[in-house]
Amino acid sequence: MSNLLFLLILLPAVAAVVCYFVRSSAVRTLTVLATGAVLTAASLALLGQGIFDPLTVGSVLGIPSDFLVTVLDFALLGVIFMYGVKHRNLLIQGFTLAQAALLVWFELVMVKHAAVPALAGDQLSLIMVLVISIVGSLICIFAIPYMKEHEEHLHLKKSRQPQFFFFLLLFLGAMNGLVLSNNILWLYFFFEVTTLCSFMLIGHDATEVAVKNSVRALWMNSLGGLAFVLGMMLVYSKVGTLDISAILAGGPQGALMVTGVGFLCLAGFTKAAQVPFQSWLLGAMVAPTPVSALLHSSTMVKAGVYVVLRFAPAYSGTLLSDGVAVCGAFTFLACAALCIGQSNGKKILAYSTVSNLGLIICCAGLNTPLAITAAVLLIIFHAISKSLLFLCVGAIEQAIGSRDIEDMRGLYAKFPRTATITIIGILTMLLPPFGVLMSKWMAMEAASANIYVIVMLAMGSALTMVYWARWGGLLMATREAGAAPEKQAGLIRMPLTVLCLGAVFLSLASPWIYNSMLAPMFDAPPFTVSFGSLDAATGSFAVVPLFIVLGLGALYAVKAASGFRKVKIVAPYLSGSNTGDEGTYIGPMNSPVPFSAGNMYLGELFAEGKLTPIFNALAVALIVLMLGGAL
Amino acid sequence: MDTLILVIIGLVAGPVLGGLIAGLDRRVTAWFQSRQGPPIMQAFYDVAKLLGKEKMVVNQWQILCAWVYMIAAAVSVALFFAQGDLLVIFFVQAVGAVFLVMGAMSAKSPYSQVGAQRELMQILAYEPVLILVFVGIYLVTGSFSISAVWELEQPLLAKMPLLYLALGFALTIKLRKSPFDFSTSHHGHQELVKGVLTEYSGPYLALIEIAHWYETVLVLGLCALFWSTNVVWMAVLLLGTYMLEILVDNTMARMTWRWMLKRVWLLGMGMSVVNLIWLYAG
Repeated sequence: MSNLLFLLILLPAVAAVVCYFVRSSAVRTLTVLATGAVLTAASLALLGQGIFDPLTVGSVLGIPSDFLVTVLDFALLGVIFMYGVKHRNLLIQGFTLAQAALLVWFELVMVKHAAVPALAGDQLSLIMVLVISIVGSLICIFAIPYMKEHEEHLHLKKSRQPQFFFFLLLFLGAMNGLVLSNNILWLYFFFEVTTLCSFMLIGHDATEVAVKNSVRALWMNSLGGLAFVLGMMLVYSKVGTLDISAILAGGPQGALMVTGVGFLCLAGFTKAAQVPFQSWLLGAMVAPTPVSALLHSSTMVKAGVYVVLRFAPAYSGTLLSDGVAVCGAFTFLACAALCIGQSNGKKILAYSTVSNLGLIICCAGLNTPLAITAAVLLIIFHAISKSLLFLCVGAIEQAIGSRDIEDMRGLYAKFPRTATITIIGILTMLLPPFGVLMSKWMAMEAASANIYVIVMLAMGSALTMVYWARWGGLLMATREAGAAPEKQAGLIRMPLTVLCLGAVFLSLASPWIYNSMLAPMFDAPPFTVSFGSLDAATGSFAVVPLFIVLGLGALYAVKAASGFRKVKIVAPYLSGSNTGDEGTYIGPMNSPVPFSAGNMYLGELFAEGKLTPIFNALAVALIVLMLGGAL
Repeated sequence: MDTLILVIIGLVAGPVLGGLIAGLDRRVTAWFQSRQGPPIMQAFYDVAKLLGKEKMVVNQWQILCAWVYMIAAAVSVALFFAQGDLLVIFFVQAVGAVFLVMGAMSAKSPYSQVGAQRELMQILAYEPVLILVFVGIYLVTGSFSISAVWELEQPLLAKMPLLYLALGFALTIKLRKSPFDFSTSHHGHQELVKGVLTEYSGPYLALIEIAHWYETVLVLGLCALFWSTNVVWMAVLLLGTYMLEILVDNTMARMTWRWMLKRVWLLGMGMSVVNLIWLYAG
C-alpha cells in the first residue's frame, strides 16, 4: 500500500529530476514513457486494493515527514516570492509574504503538533488518482514529439525541454499528493506546488506575453494560497485538528468554521479559474499545447474543484452551500456566453473548461448524493474529452499553422484522422449517450430544486450546444479520391486514439463505474442500476440501451455514408452557374465572383470585452454573498 | 412488454401522424387563403417521390447527418412512448438537431451555412424554455419521467399556464412556422433559398422530412401532456393549439433571429420563471 503511494507521489518527482539533469532526448523519452506506464499501473493497482483508512507517514530519508513538508512549504513560498521580486509584481510579493507570516503564526503558535495521518484514500481520491495518472501520463507522452516539433519551430540553440518535462512530471506527482493528502498542511503544500508548476509551464516559452500571463496566473493563485491559509486557520481554530477526515466527519460547526471552509472554497475557485479568476486560465493557452491540456483536463483546475468537492460535507446544509452552487452555476452560464463570441479554438476550449468546472462546483454546492455523483462523473469524463480536444487542437495547429476554427474549415479533406477524432471528441462533450452529457443531465435533475441554479443551467446548456455544434460541422468535408494518407507521429497518434476510445467506451461503462466507484460513497446511493440503465426516483438514463440503439443507428449511417462514391457528387447551389473552382461562381460579365460564409459569433450580444467586466463584477458580488452566507 | 408495444406504436404512428398533420396543415392554410390546397396525403406523395430520386450530395457527411437526424428523431419519439425521462428525450432529440446543423455546415454553400447558423440560433432560443418546462413538470409530479404525468388528477395546464404559453414559442420554432421560420421556410423562394435544407436533396431530403414529422409528433406530444387527465380535452387542447399555430403562421411576417432571441429569451423565459416561482412557492 504505502509503496504504491510513494510510487504515485515520488516517482514523478524522481523522473522529473532525471529529465532535468540528463539532457539526452532518448533518456527523456524513455523516462517519460516508463513513468507513464508505472503511474498507470500503480493507479490501477491502488484502485484494485480499494479505499484505505488514513495512514501515517513516518519519515522520508530519515527526516520526519511533517517537518519536511513544513520546510518545503517555506522554501516554496520563498521561491514564489523571488519570482515576485524578479517580475516586480507587488501582488505576488504581498500575497506570499502574508501567507508566510500567517503560516509562521499558525505553525508556531496555533497548532499543537499532534501526529496526524498524512495520507488517505477514499473513493474520490482514488478516482482522482486514476484521472491524473492515466490522462496526465498520456498528455506527457503526447508532449514528447510535440515539444520536439515545437522547438524546431522556435529554432532554439539550447533545448529547454529538460526544464519543461521537469515541471510537467513534477505536476503529476504533486497532483497525486494533493488528492491523497489527509493532513490539511500537506494538502496546502501540494496546492502550492501546483501553483509553482503552472507558473513555470505557462511562462515556458519566455515570450513577452507568456511571461505576462504566467505572472498573472501566479498572483491569482497566490491569492488562492492566501485564502487557503486563512481558511485553514479559521477551521483549525474551531475544530482543533489538521486531520481532514476528522474535519469532514464533524460536518458544519458554527459560523467561524464554515467561514473557514468558505475561504478554502475561494482557494478552490481561484485554482479552478472560476469567474472572476478566469483570466489566468485563458492566458495559459500561450503555453505549448500539452501544458494547456494538462492544466485544463487532469491537473491544476481539477485541484480546485477537488478542494471544493472534498470539503462538501463540511458545509452541507449551510447557506455557504447554496452560495457555492449559485457561484458555480453563474460561471457555467457566463463562460458559455463568453465562448459564443470566440473563434480561437484554444479559447473556446478554455472557456468551455471553466464553464464545465463551474458546473462541477455548482454540483458540489447542491450537495445531494445525486449532485455529488454528477460532479465526480463530470470530472472523469470532462478530463478525458477535454484533454483529447486540446491534443487535437495542438495536432491541428502544428498541421495547418492556426488555431482559429475558421481556418479549420474542411479539415477532413486533408487530415481525415485528426478531423474525425476531433469530431468524435466534440460529440462526446455535447451529446447523449456520452458521459459528459449524462453528468449534465444528473446535474440538471439535481438542480431542479433550486430555481436560481436551474435557470442558469438551462441557459448555459443551450449556449454550450451552439459553440460545439458549429465547430464540429465546419470540420467536415469531402476527401478527393486517392488523396495522400495523413501522416502522424506514432506518439501523437497513440494518446489521441487511446483518449478517443476512452471517451466513448468509458461512457458506455458508466453504469459499472458508478456501481463500483461512486455508489459506495453514499449511505443512500442516488441510482440503482438495471440492464445498464441508471434509475433514480426522479428519472432514469438508459445508458446501455441508448448506446446500443444510437450506436447501431450511427454505424448504419456511417455505412450509408461510406458508399458515397456511388452517389453523384455535385457542386453546391449558388444561384448562378458554378465555375468548377471551389468558392466562386460565374457572376455578371461572365467573371468569377468569390463567396464565403463564416460562423456567427454574435459580436453585438456576446462581445468578450463588453461582457467580461460585467460578469467579473457580478461574480465578485456573488462570492461576497457566498462568504457572507457562511457567517 | 407493454413498453415494447408502445415503442413500436410510436415508431409507426410518428411518421403517419406527422405526415397527416403536415397535409392537414396545408389544407387549412389553403382554406385561410381561399385556395383549395393539395390532397391531405400530399406530404406522403412528396416524400415517396423524393425517395425515388437520384442520390446526389455535395458531401458524404450529409448522408451520415441525414440518417443520424432521422434515427435520433425516431428514438426520441420511441422514448416518449416508452414513458422515458423528459430530459433524456430532449437530449436525444438534440442529437438530431445538432447533426442536421453539422450536415448543412459540411457543404460549402453560403445558403446552407447561413441557414445552419440560424438553426443554431433557434436551438439557442427554444432549448432553455423546454428545459424549464420539464423542470415545471418535475415540480408538479416529483419526477422527470412521463409515467408520473399520467398519475396526476389535475391537468398540468392548471398549474403551468404560463409554461404552456412559453412552450408555444418552442412549438412554433420547432414546426418552422412564421415568425420563426428563418433557418429554412416552407417556401423555397426566400433570401436563403431553403436555408439549412438547401443542399439536402432526393432521398436524403426525404429522410429529413420524415425526421421532421417525428419531431412534430414529439412536440405535440409534449403539449398533450398538459391535459393528461381527459382524452377529449387533450384533443381539444391540441387542436386549438395547432389551429393557433396555423393562424400565427399565416398572419405573421418572417422575423429576424435577433428579434426571436430577444422575444423568446425575455418573454418565454420570463413567463417560465414566473410560473416556476409559483410552483416553488406552492
